[in-house]
Amino acid sequence: MKKVRGSVLACVLGLTAVLAGCGGGNQAATQQPASSGTGGTTAQPQQQAAEAAKPVEIDFWYALGGRNGEIIEKMVKDFNESHKHIVVKPAYQGSYYENHSKVLAAVSAGNQPDVTMVEVGSIGAFAEAKVLQDLGPYANGAEEKYIPGLLGNSYWKEKLYAIPFNRSTPLLYLNRDLLKAAGLDPEGPKTWEELQQFSKALTKKEGAKTTTYGFSTPIDIWFYEALVFQSGGNILSEDGKSLLINEESGKAPLNFWTGMLKEGIMKAPPGEKYNAWDVAKQDFINQQVAMIFTSTGDLRGLKEAAKFDMGTAFLPANKSYGAPTGGANLVMLAKSSDEEKKAAWEFIEWMTDTKQTIPWSLETGYMPVTKDAVESEDMKKAYEKEPNFQVAVKQLEYAKPRPMVPGYKELQEVIMTEIQRAVLGQATVDQAIGNAVEKGQKLLKK
Amino acid sequence: MRQAGTTAWKTIEGILLIAVALVFVFPFLWMFLTAFKTMPEVYQFPPTWLPESWQFQNFQTAWRSGPFLTYVWNSFLVAGGILVLQLLTGVPAAYAFARYRFRGKEALFALTLIALMIPAQVIFLPVYVELSHWGLVNTLWALILPYGASAFGIFLLRQSFMQVPDEVIEAARLDNASEWKIMWTIMVPMAKPVLVTFGLFSFIYHWNDYFWPLIMTNSQEVRTLPIGISMLKAVEGGKQWNVIMAGNMILVFPILLIFFFAQRHIIRAFVYQSK
Repeated sequence: MKKVRGSVLACVLGLTAVLAGCGGGNQAATQQPASSGTGGTTAQPQQQAAEAAKPVEIDFWYALGGRNGEIIEKMVKDFNESHKHIVVKPAYQGSYYENHSKVLAAVSAGNQPDVTMVEVGSIGAFAEAKVLQDLGPYANGAEEKYIPGLLGNSYWKEKLYAIPFNRSTPLLYLNRDLLKAAGLDPEGPKTWEELQQFSKALTKKEGAKTTTYGFSTPIDIWFYEALVFQSGGNILSEDGKSLLINEESGKAPLNFWTGMLKEGIMKAPPGEKYNAWDVAKQDFINQQVAMIFTSTGDLRGLKEAAKFDMGTAFLPANKSYGAPTGGANLVMLAKSSDEEKKAAWEFIEWMTDTKQTIPWSLETGYMPVTKDAVESEDMKKAYEKEPNFQVAVKQLEYAKPRPMVPGYKELQEVIMTEIQRAVLGQATVDQAIGNAVEKGQKLLKK
Repeated sequence: MRQAGTTAWKTIEGILLIAVALVFVFPFLWMFLTAFKTMPEVYQFPPTWLPESWQFQNFQTAWRSGPFLTYVWNSFLVAGGILVLQLLTGVPAAYAFARYRFRGKEALFALTLIALMIPAQVIFLPVYVELSHWGLVNTLWALILPYGASAFGIFLLRQSFMQVPDEVIEAARLDNASEWKIMWTIMVPMAKPVLVTFGLFSFIYHWNDYFWPLIMTNSQEVRTLPIGISMLKAVEGGKQWNVIMAGNMILVFPILLIFFFAQRHIIRAFVYQSK
């Protein structure tokens, strides 16, 4: 009886292996490079060559939908056409955070991709969980070609784990027509004080109803980070063990926002997370708000939708200019085989290379990631034509990486909730910050 | 006098119903109208009601953004496959719970009900790892098998099987009908309205499910409509609401159609229950 059972088990396992094999392996047969286009020399000893030169397959999971997703698909297609020894299989996996959960689940099941996008604030958590491959040996100094301001979220405990790919930073977007009509400098406000004055001048009321607000921003952790940096502070201490937002630099942003809200010259768009972003952008397009904070990633879309002279500027300074960077980096997974890793590196390097990052930047609004790209003729020409695209790159001088200790994702939710309570007037600034620190401190690993 | 009273009530009732219906229909109407607008018109303020010019190409744009035919086919296979399995497992289970006495019945039923309280997000990882071991991740089976039995369905069917009078079953047993036959030829037809209602609930839920298919599939060939539609949505760079709404129209259209045909049964089911 026992014996029979054993053999059944073996059969089932065998079947599973076959299934798994079928699931993963049948692509290779169809992906044989066609020999028609290439020279006849390689086509002669085809039998053995085909065996030896079977292309390496790697899976690439990305997290951008819509037009940006289509652009990624096209880039991968170009890569596959120009690299016959590698086949990259791209797959959209939902938003940044949906992709994160998928990757972690896949790692524990052993069917993870080889390359994926990771949101910059989560690199630390992924590296700490031993999910990511140390890229040092692969890069061999190649990381020098990337813009230093974008590499802040690439290192964890002195090791290189990620390469910048779709990188953004918040900007101040201006409706220059409205600014000019109000007799203001169309270049926009340079400081918090000016932002307040501008907002006041731009706000229009009809009776008790406000028809145009001077300023609006989604109450989002990203913009809070920006204002804390501008006030000369940080969200977390150097060692990532304590929250610093109960210092003056953590309270100043909230006092600034709540002050403007009370004055009725700023609008806090309703809605959760990205919905609030959508509201802010729509208000801006409809000219019901004259100035908003939003990402460089919105540059292209807003430019096409706006029927007015739209400009961008640095986020206004408090003690100094300052902004976080955002977006996602490309990473390689530690569990892949050596052969896959080699191919994965080739792919990552190609995707973030000057040649690819220039069109990528111009078509999406994300920043170019290499120094050469910024210096290139193509980019310079584009900047002359559309100076707005250059603002983000210039602002990098004042940019800081996002905090990325493990657990920051959860921590930012806590901080956001409290910030929103302060903004909605359900708590004083001191109460909100006090609560955030008390709850948040527990989340930080001691 | 009393006549007049009832007509007055009827009128008020009618007005209330229409008001409530409007509240529920409004989002659908808005989706429908937005799906035909141009992008600038979507952002216009104050918003327009009827599109200035009907943009049918929004549907084309949505449809061409991916292998939509495959998505539709997969959605039908998954939602339909799940429903068939749920009925095959649910009907006998509900019959046993409703009509048999056996040891541990209460405990088993309690366990079934507990299954109702566990969200998919909690158990997805162990299920994912298990499916992965069987080599089923990234296949349609991964979307169908985990939902092969429905606690909700068992609960609903048990209620309606309990309402069938004992005499009917007694008579059938006297005629030497097998239990299997009693279940399928007597019980099931009597519970038809409930079956249709449950079928709709189940079908719509799995038709619209986003989380599970996203986690369990990696490639286009095995993906369902909701994922295809979520790909229309960019996080940054401005959303093309008109195209997204067109995609959503494609998503809800089959459901509306099914609903339209099954409406009669749904109403019957609830009337039946309240007898």
